[in-house]
Amino acid sequence: MNSKHIQLNSVTKKFQNNTVVNNVSFDITDNEFFILLGPSGCGKSTTLRMIAGLEEITSGSIIADQKDISYEDPKDRNVAFVFQNYALYPHMNVRENLSYSLKLRKITQIKIDEKINWVTNLLKIKELLDRKPSQLSGGQRQRVALGRSLVRDPIAFLLDEPLSNLDAQLRVEMRQELISLQKKLSKTFIYVTHDQVEAMTMATRICIMNQGEILQIGPPQEVYDQPNSIFVAKFLANPINNILKSNIVNKNNEIFIETLGINIVNKKLINLSQVFFSIRPENIYLESYDRDKTIKVEIIQIENHGHELLMTSKLINNSQLLYFRISKENKITLGSKVTLGFNVEDLLFFDITNNRRIK
Amino acid sequence: MNNIQLNDRRFGFFFVAPAVVILSIVILAPIVIAIITSFYDYTLINRSLDNFIGLNNYFESIANKKFLHSTLVTITFVFFVVLFEFLIGFLIAILLNQVERFRNVYYFILLIPLLINPVVVGLIWRMFLHPQLGILNYLIGFIGIEPVNWLGDPQNAFITIIFVDIWHQVSFMIILLLAGLASIPEEPYEAARVDGANAFQQFRDITLPYMRPVIIITLLIRLIFALKTYDLIYIMTKGGPGDATDLISYYIYRSAFIGLDLGQAASMSVILLFIVCIIIYPLFKYMSRADE
Amino acid sequence: MKTFISILLSLTFFSVNANSVTLRAVMENVPDTKFIQELLPDFTEKTGIEVEFEVMGYGEMHPKLVPSLTASKGSYDFMPVDFYWVGEFDKAGWMMSLDDMIAKDSFDTSVYFDSLMDLTGRVGDTTYMLPFYNYAMGLTVRKDLINDSTNQSNFKAKYGIDLKIPTEWNEYLNQVEFFTDKDNGFYGVVNQGGKADPIAMEWSNYLFARGGSFHDQNWNGQLNSKEALEALNDYISMISNYGPLGAESFSFDEAFNVAAQGNAYSYLTYNWFLGSYNDPDQSSVVGKMALIPVPGEGGLNGAWGWSIPTSSPNPEAAWEFLKWVESPEIAKRRAEMGGAATRKDVFDDPDLNAKFDHYPGLKKLLATSKNFPVFTYTPQFVEVMGTELSKAVIGEQDASTALANMNEQLEELAAKDGKR
Repeated sequence: MNSKHIQLNSVTKKFQNNTVVNNVSFDITDNEFFILLGPSGCGKSTTLRMIAGLEEITSGSIIADQKDISYEDPKDRNVAFVFQNYALYPHMNVRENLSYSLKLRKITQIKIDEKINWVTNLLKIKELLDRKPSQLSGGQRQRVALGRSLVRDPIAFLLDEPLSNLDAQLRVEMRQELISLQKKLSKTFIYVTHDQVEAMTMATRICIMNQGEILQIGPPQEVYDQPNSIFVAKFLANPINNILKSNIVNKNNEIFIETLGINIVNKKLINLSQVFFSIRPENIYLESYDRDKTIKVEIIQIENHGHELLMTSKLINNSQLLYFRISKENKITLGSKVTLGFNVEDLLFFDITNNRRIK
Repeated sequence: MNNIQLNDRRFGFFFVAPAVVILSIVILAPIVIAIITSFYDYTLINRSLDNFIGLNNYFESIANKKFLHSTLVTITFVFFVVLFEFLIGFLIAILLNQVERFRNVYYFILLIPLLINPVVVGLIWRMFLHPQLGILNYLIGFIGIEPVNWLGDPQNAFITIIFVDIWHQVSFMIILLLAGLASIPEEPYEAARVDGANAFQQFRDITLPYMRPVIIITLLIRLIFALKTYDLIYIMTKGGPGDATDLISYYIYRSAFIGLDLGQAASMSVILLFIVCIIIYPLFKYMSRADE
Repeated sequence: MKTFISILLSLTFFSVNANSVTLRAVMENVPDTKFIQELLPDFTEKTGIEVEFEVMGYGEMHPKLVPSLTASKGSYDFMPVDFYWVGEFDKAGWMMSLDDMIAKDSFDTSVYFDSLMDLTGRVGDTTYMLPFYNYAMGLTVRKDLINDSTNQSNFKAKYGIDLKIPTEWNEYLNQVEFFTDKDNGFYGVVNQGGKADPIAMEWSNYLFARGGSFHDQNWNGQLNSKEALEALNDYISMISNYGPLGAESFSFDEAFNVAAQGNAYSYLTYNWFLGSYNDPDQSSVVGKMALIPVPGEGGLNGAWGWSIPTSSPNPEAAWEFLKWVESPEIAKRRAEMGGAATRKDVFDDPDLNAKFDHYPGLKKLLATSKNFPVFTYTPQFVEVMGTELSKAVIGEQDASTALANMNEQLEELAAKDGKR
């Protein structure tokens, strides 16, 4: 059951002299919910489209079920694609949209009706069958787009930011539906998004990309807790991560971190003079009594998120910013100076020269 | 309606008023005058509205074999011209739509015939088509074809003017159809490719439905203009040989300015207007329905 | 300051007054118009009147004139009138009578050829026009081919008569047959068979050459005569057997080009084409074409006349122009440049005869030319002829049907005009 279902080997995509996807390789196993995550322009959609066959590969290969599909037409790859803007056929009603691919394959009308029945029940869109796309809401169109891909019984589902055009409420609902749908169908989902919440909540594995390259692949918790680079540490953050810079001095087998004003023991930092470090806002506490270390800060901004407050503070001795989260019961005012507590084990260190984590 | 809305409306009227007035004078008034004239015995020699003859001009026109012949010639001409210009124009528009580099250069070259004054087009082609001295017969001589009597043989002349009109006007179709094609989003095509549609199926199921309003409008406009074709005939054939290319506009013109019978000519114009309205009406209805 | 302004104002006043008349006219795009344009500065110098021509093709003139003529005050001060339009303009009362002005200034109209005064001078007893230029039709033939001795002996051998400038119609027909060599792209004749104007005008010559006529004094049609049938059969045969491909649709320019490029022995056309044959920019047969009267019993006359519209804004100034342009010296200078004169004194002038050796022939041509039926519906009848003749030429109807149709419609139109 660990068969390599879909494999990308050193896939590269160039548009004239512009390399958009650079030497990307990964293996997706059966029934994975594999998510490509990254900022706009990082090459994730292009990668997905190459898997679908909507873009040509400049070099490399794509294998599906042990078959090389690198140069096959989209229709011969038997994958389904759900577009960001749904791409429904505007002149056909929902029923015709759903049956289009089946009609092209000359499937009998009886079978088509069966499939439509099944899919409309599954997605609860039965009452929409006679409507045209222009008569549907965003969420309904999204379901029809999904439905269109479901009737095909493909080897994998490719979804290109399908939720990004929905409002926040709907997005949360749809996330749940997609997760349960994937489980129910037991099919491989390859999903593209720039929203790290979606990636964290839905993925079996996340593949983070930036500027055409893969930065890290791993299950959500692993990537969150052990980011390989500053970029990953910054990107996988809700709402934000603290990345600070510090001079460090080696003193008698202890490392003095100037910015925090603390001494720690860390063999890896011995020969360095400067370092980046990160600490998540949720790992900074108002009560410092049972924490390893403390730091003094001045509050410069308070953001009320309803269920909690996001505090922006400035280090007293340093003026770099530090974000932390507290419950709304705390009455702290702007400009006040507080002492925060944190644990050394929550600090992650990154090399100044290549931004990679020092492990 | 509150004051702001009332003011808006009034403002709108004032904005539109000059155009409406001008259009009424320039378009509506002559039509009305022509219709009135058609009920009188009004000639260029005796220009007076003394002689009311009711529908006599109309009866004469309908009974006039030459008028009916011209109508038939015109309908045939318009049918072929619009059909071929549409097919060729659509094909070129599709090809042009897929070109990325130098698209503007091709566009400009294709546009040139349309920019040429119709009179000049007629004169240029008469030169080209001269049986002994024209370049066309010279060129086809190289591939062993005998010189063709382009404008002197009745069948040839009819086909030739269709061809020249196509040469002149096809870029009109290209412009409109290309604009329509360019506005079709890319995504349904991608969905279709993934669903398994080939090029023809994509054309049939996506391109054509999207293009329907543009196609209708393009055909409509071209049809109306084609019915009025005059310059080409005036320059190239004067309606001949015989009356093989006697299009209706040219026939009506001669009735008015050579035959000097304006009343009769006016009645023929009204009949033509009527025919045009009948042809356009169903297309018009289709258009407003398709807009919903 | 005040004096300066008043001087300025009075100067402007005077200049405006002095040049306050500009005469406007619609003119045809033909050489005779160009010759006058070159001489216009002379008129302005003598009278202080400016003249502006709107030059255009024949087809645009009538539509341009009519609206101006029907207005109470038109845009044009004087106008050239094609003989086609004389009947119509007369019936509609658009031309001003020139009798009084002629009498007052003692203008001599006897210098004009009678046939031309009948065509574009008088209507009935009143003089409405002064003949402007003529476009009588004649036959142009390749005299170099006639003078060639090989041709002469071959022709004599085949037909038993001498090869010379043709004076008989049958003689001409033989020559046309003789010179046709289609395989080498040389034709005995090139016809202007194009619809309406060209074919109607050209065929009229054939009709007259055979001794036929359009109608008698009472306007009974004579187109169903034996002569007319012969004339039409001649014409059909010319186009089908001895002419180049496409002659059925040639305008006078296109036919001219075939002859001017040296591909035809003969071309029946307007006499002023001779100048174009001898212009190296347009022709490759410079000096080789001779202009002769149409062999047989006379060719078709044609002319334009000067007229003053009843709607003329400046009739007196217009008459000054007419007097000037038709004065003996200006008429002579126009003829010198190559204009087609309408006056006997021009043709008798020794200087001009020294310059143009075709003058005696042309004088004879004008003397023998016959007129086309002139009445209100002349243009309409030209249209009718154009259609019927064209159909006969392309074989859509036979010659006698075409002639019968033409005859019937001629009588109908004449009746409509009150002529019978």
